Amino acid sequence: MSGPNDDNMSPHTQLSSHFFGDLLDSIIVDVASECHRIAKLGLDRNLEEEEEELRLSTQARVRAADPSNSGEANSKYVVDIFGQTHPPVANEIFECMNCGRSIMAGRFAPHLEKCMGKGRKARLKATRSSTAAQNRYSRGSPVSTYSPYSNSSSTNRLSNGTPGVAGEEYSNGTLEEP
Amino acid sequence: RNSVNRPPTPDAAEDLGKEPMFQEIINIKLIESGEKERLMELLRERLIECGWKDEMKALCRAFIKKKGRNDVTVDDLVRVITPKGRASIPDYIKAELLQRIRAYLVQAAV
Repeated sequence: MSGPNDDNMSPHTQLSSHFFGDLLDSIIVDVASECHRIAKLGLDRNLEEEEEELRLSTQARVRAADPSNSGEANSKYVVDIFGQTHPPVANEIFECMNCGRSIMAGRFAPHLEKCMGKGRKARLKATRSSTAAQNRYSRGSPVSTYSPYSNSSSTNRLSNGTPGVAGEEYSNGTLEEP
Repeated sequence: RNSVNRPPTPDAAEDLGKEPMFQEIINIKLIESGEKERLMELLRERLIECGWKDEMKALCRAFIKKKGRNDVTVDDLVRVITPKGRASIPDYIKAELLQRIRAYLVQAAV
């Protein structure tokens, strides 16, 4: 471009320099414009990856610096894709349809095992208990026992071990064959 | 009677080169003959071959990474690469282009 030696240059030289500078400036604007476009459109993969890594590393640093985070707490309270955390044991409380007790949802299955008579204790409980909606087990006869309508969602258990008909409902309770 | 708008006399040859009106006339000639476009393409090609364009793009990318791509303007980038851009043109490329331009000026009987 035109420098301090303007006076020594022939007009042609100076003119040439002027036009050369003109061309160069145009090309510089073109390059700048191209880079600008690539950046704005997110076409530069490397830029994207670097931004991503930068974000992840700042996130990790924040989490590491946070004193309330212990490794154990983190593993139990995992965040799902909606950003929700769930406690390790489901803690909704409702009423057991068999015995009427208030049960925690996460403890319902083990409770039902005991409550509905898988184990020894439950069977003893069943024969001795006088609460409404309990099954009656006859002693030894090949009886098919139908559970009361409130229990229809679960499998039935019989004293002699044969599988009963599941899900049938009788309003008058148990059915016994003579 | 002297006209205020009278153009400078031809013997002031040195000043003529700096005369903006004169440069504009030559510019128009360059463009209309298509020579400007050819010169531009030649320069572009040479600057890509020698890696000058890649250097400029690297400068841009570095600036964009620092400033964040949402805030960058074209003006920013032009400002970033112009000083280095002008200074780092290889001599042989500059010589070739100047030669071409001068040849044009001669044949255009400027």
